[in-house]
Amino acid sequence: MSDDNPYGFAPPDDRPLTYMQRIRDYYVTLGFGKPYEWAHYVSAPFTPMTKLLNEARVALVTTAAPYQPDAGDQGPWSAYNSKAKFYQVYSGDTAVDHDTRISHIGIDRKHTSQEDSGTWFPLPMLRRMAAEGVIGEVAPNFHGAPTNRSHRTTIETDAQEIVARVKADKADAVVIAAN
Amino acid sequence: MSLIARALEEAGIPTVAMGCAKDIVEYVGAPRFYFSDFPLGNPCGRPHDPESQYQTLKGALGLLASATAPMTTVQNPLRWPGNGEWKADFSNVSQMSPEEIARRREEFERGKEIAKAKLKQETAAE
Repeated sequence: MSDDNPYGFAPPDDRPLTYMQRIRDYYVTLGFGKPYEWAHYVSAPFTPMTKLLNEARVALVTTAAPYQPDAGDQGPWSAYNSKAKFYQVYSGDTAVDHDTRISHIGIDRKHTSQEDSGTWFPLPMLRRMAAEGVIGEVAPNFHGAPTNRSHRTTIETDAQEIVARVKADKADAVVIAAN
Repeated sequence: MSLIARALEEAGIPTVAMGCAKDIVEYVGAPRFYFSDFPLGNPCGRPHDPESQYQTLKGALGLLASATAPMTTVQNPLRWPGNGEWKADFSNVSQMSPEEIARRREEFERGKEIAKAKLKQETAAE
């Protein structure tokens, strides 16, 4: 509280960032003509949970990439690294730990250190939820989703592949960690 | 990622997306969205703060169970350290010098070429 802010209002710009505008302005200023067009729907499909959470088998889907030693810097504070991108859905055994990275994604490179994978890959935490009985169990595999700019590839190929893999694991619900 | 969530829901599998870009996820239309007002790259909590990561995942799982309608967003009550100043920095051209903009333009073109080459290589290997 202060004399000029007696009700303790937050700063006007402290609200969820309008990324779409920021990104459009960025690319227009850089001189790239046609701005990216995000997919857009005004409604969404919805499946209610039919099992209690503590009885449900929960799967994890991530946009993180497996660490690739030959693909350049993917470490803390690494710059955007398109060499580390991947274009096929991949899966991994949830019973063991995995080294995943996010250098291939357009994250905040000034404030996101990329040091602690717990901020983007919640597999160890999901196992803890299972151990504590918050969820029934972790599905046997997690799935990595490519982040490319083609809506067609995402909808017709990658999403269908992930649906098939999640079904094969008989998961009751999916947590998606989107970067 | 919202498109993948939608495909899963269409196939009869409930989802919750954890993320930091509220406007984008809601524009695409995610069925359930657990929003953390954190810099991009931290959808699952704050770094070196396992308790925040625990609470964030627990919040997302709570939304999975509690949502009764599509396009439900719940905001993580946790805050990123500081007073929200980080929001001024992301891809903000009004803060960049012409030299910085030119440097980024070159970097972007280079990255695009590398990604294109890798895509070609991976699809050729199929």
